[in-house]
Amino acid sequence: MALRRLIYPMTWRLPIVVWQAAFFVVPLGFMVVMSFWAVRNYRMQPDFILDNWAKMLGRGYFWDAYWLTVIRAAAASAIASLVAFPASYALAYKVSPAARRWAIFFLIIPFFTSYLVRTYAWQVILAEQGVINAGLGFIGIGPFTMLNSGFGAMVGYLTLTLPLVVILQTFSLASVDRNLIEAAWNLGCSRFRAIFLVIIPSAKVGLILGAVFCFILSFGDFVSPYYLGGSKPPTLSILIIDTTKSGQQWPRAAVVAVTMIATLLAVAFAAVGAAYRKPKP
Amino acid sequence: MLARVYLAAIFAFVFAPIVASFVFSFNSDRFPTVPLGSFTFHWYETAFSKPGVWEAFRTSLLVSASAATLSTLIGFCTAYTDFRFGFRFKPAYLALALLPPTIPLVIMGLAMLAWLSNVGLSGTVTAVVISHTVLGAPFAMAVIRLRLSQMDPALEAAAWNLGASEWGAMRQVILPFCRPSVIAAFCLTAAVSFDEFAVAWFVSGLNKTVPVVILEILQGNVDPQINAIGTVVFLTSMALVVMAQVLVMRRTRGEAG
Amino acid sequence: MSGPLVVFDGVVKRYGSVVAVKRMDLTIAKGEFVALMGPSGCGKTTTLRMLAGLEEPDEGTITIGGRPMNGVPAHERDTPLVWQSLALFPFLNVRENVEFGLRMRGIDAGKRQRRVLEWLERMGLKGFEERRIDQLSGGQRQRVALARSLVTEPEMLLLDEPLSALDAHLVVRMQGVLTRLQRELGITFVYVTHSQSEAFAMADRVVIMGHGEIAQTGAPREVYRAPANRFVAEFVGRNNIFEGTVAGVENGQAVLESPAGRLRLPAGSAVSGNASIAVAADRVRVSAGRPEGPNAIRCQLISEEFVGASVILYLEAPDGSEIKAQLGEAELRTLDLHSGAELWVSWEPAAAHLLGGQG
Repeated sequence: MALRRLIYPMTWRLPIVVWQAAFFVVPLGFMVVMSFWAVRNYRMQPDFILDNWAKMLGRGYFWDAYWLTVIRAAAASAIASLVAFPASYALAYKVSPAARRWAIFFLIIPFFTSYLVRTYAWQVILAEQGVINAGLGFIGIGPFTMLNSGFGAMVGYLTLTLPLVVILQTFSLASVDRNLIEAAWNLGCSRFRAIFLVIIPSAKVGLILGAVFCFILSFGDFVSPYYLGGSKPPTLSILIIDTTKSGQQWPRAAVVAVTMIATLLAVAFAAVGAAYRKPKP
Repeated sequence: MLARVYLAAIFAFVFAPIVASFVFSFNSDRFPTVPLGSFTFHWYETAFSKPGVWEAFRTSLLVSASAATLSTLIGFCTAYTDFRFGFRFKPAYLALALLPPTIPLVIMGLAMLAWLSNVGLSGTVTAVVISHTVLGAPFAMAVIRLRLSQMDPALEAAAWNLGASEWGAMRQVILPFCRPSVIAAFCLTAAVSFDEFAVAWFVSGLNKTVPVVILEILQGNVDPQINAIGTVVFLTSMALVVMAQVLVMRRTRGEAG
Repeated sequence: MSGPLVVFDGVVKRYGSVVAVKRMDLTIAKGEFVALMGPSGCGKTTTLRMLAGLEEPDEGTITIGGRPMNGVPAHERDTPLVWQSLALFPFLNVRENVEFGLRMRGIDAGKRQRRVLEWLERMGLKGFEERRIDQLSGGQRQRVALARSLVTEPEMLLLDEPLSALDAHLVVRMQGVLTRLQRELGITFVYVTHSQSEAFAMADRVVIMGHGEIAQTGAPREVYRAPANRFVAEFVGRNNIFEGTVAGVENGQAVLESPAGRLRLPAGSAVSGNASIAVAADRVRVSAGRPEGPNAIRCQLISEEFVGASVILYLEAPDGSEIKAQLGEAELRTLDLHSGAELWVSWEPAAAHLLGGQG
């Protein structure tokens, strides 16, 4: 009787548990385990050694890549948040709800266009003889070198993340109680100060969420740093690909991956902490 | 006014590469710049004269249809569980269900490659389907859960009250209510799979999907074929997304009154 | 009305550590219109849901028509419910909604068709068969929900605050529809509501619940005029409640020593020790000067509330307690009302009602 009663709920509850256990938790767990395996004669062997960790973490180029990735992702997150904010503000408060819905719809479109194709388009647009430099040439400036640089990579990161950041910010700004803002105006707060004193504190969770998603996406992205940033110096994701694809050194790639996940978890927890922290009395 | 100019600039940045790749795909120059060269179908012809590209499209369609079916099934079960049941460890359950999209794709790729090689699946179409289902199920879950949150929770109990068993209520009430969102979830996860290149690149081996082919062309020299293939991929994905959007919108509006 | 249809015998329902229903004993007769009434969270909806099999009692048994219902799943019971939200299926049209219960019972298509049409006609919904639910007005939806529940010809209909979403003028009309239906069909209605006016207008018997327990059952008038305890007195009508100790007998009547003053108890009430009385607001008189007779308290006017043709005065007694008095237009004209005005309240000893034990 009791068992029969479990059939119905378990039919719905179990599929995701089974699937994500077998193909998400186990692979990630296996990767962690693999980071302690040995590679002998170009073959992986189950083992428990710290060599991979020592070799990766003991090298200067790993840490160069680590900090480059962290700084770039943090910069992308800050720039995307700042650039997106005025747009989100306009979408949340200055346009009609119908226009807002359309804008959101158009911001979703990029997620379904190939990021690779968009990156390639930027390669062509930003090239030495590309559209932008040709345009600037008409008014007599340039050409500028934009590809294979931090700037190029940043254009790529923003291509990837800006629509998402605008969407998340717009939703959080639009859900701020309008009475709160009007109350601030009514009490003599200027529109500009109200943004900092009322709107940003009220929409904090969404704003931080946008920044965190931007950080996560930029941190893990390999396409922008590779094809727009010039791949050298490498970021962590490029390091993973190079280590995996060229050298059979999967355990070392796993070390990089585990380090990345640890970093992302730390960032995510810090952000959640910041988002939900009560202001001190 | 200033707000509109700023918005226009943001949208220009977001859509510049999309529009550019569309325009360049019909432009005769190998290194396009302004002024543009002449109109041509050359890049489409070259790209689609290769058997590899057709093969990739077939693989992509197969993969995205299968992954979308599995994602939608699993996503539906999860969304319904979240809607209907409360139990211990539910936060952990939901975290497990929704976490995959937050893991960088390169890491997912490495982990899937390592694990699937270990069980002898690496390099197969199955491997890509499995990976894309892991990535797609949370999206399917989110879309269907959103629909269920618009449902009066009394509806299911009302069906029991009128004599429907739990399975009967599922078939007579929950499924009909969720149908548009189930189709939308299928379209969205199909589009996600159709565009995913990182994990597919790691695990697909010789069974390349379209994005993997694009990635490999990109690793070579500048080649406007990418624009041609990309435009076709874009149109396919957009068709799926618009279909999903229309289904979700129409139903929501129809019941607003 | 004949024998019992529903018997609750020591029924207990808990949610975790919260006891929603405590040891309930209740009998509902065939053909009776019973209203379960009480403030939100009193356990009335849980009681109804247990009847429908949507919740299982933790202890005790519920029998319907002599059959113990413990363990019988909701879909195997014949206890249709009219939901607060109506819970009409939005993806089905009117006909399909009404047909649902018949289809689940495996009744053949021809017979289904006849029964559905018969009920739609009865509820004044003829011609609306193919309408979508969102194309109906609130009152029409209400009638679809009723038809959907009654089409299977049950012995009992459960109603969970079905009128709470309607406009005031529709509520009165639907009350008429419900009372007439119940008389015509002769079946049992179990009606959950927090609204006194609905319960008192329709029910043969009201069951007042509070904190998971039955506080009083009885005919509406009886409960209204003679609340059994403090809880009922506070929930039903507008009562002033005075607590105190019985101090002795004056002129053959017991006297209650309360913080508000010495109050006469109604004749014949032989009590001692602690006691409480309820005085309905509409039995309280207000005058500018000290009135003749007992039960006079000097008060200060705090505020007034207009209720149709009468006014409720909120006054403060010297001990700080609040006294409500409901006055008609004529009585008001003799008084000079302003905030803080000094007024006297009084009542006939017979207007006081002695309350029973703890409520």
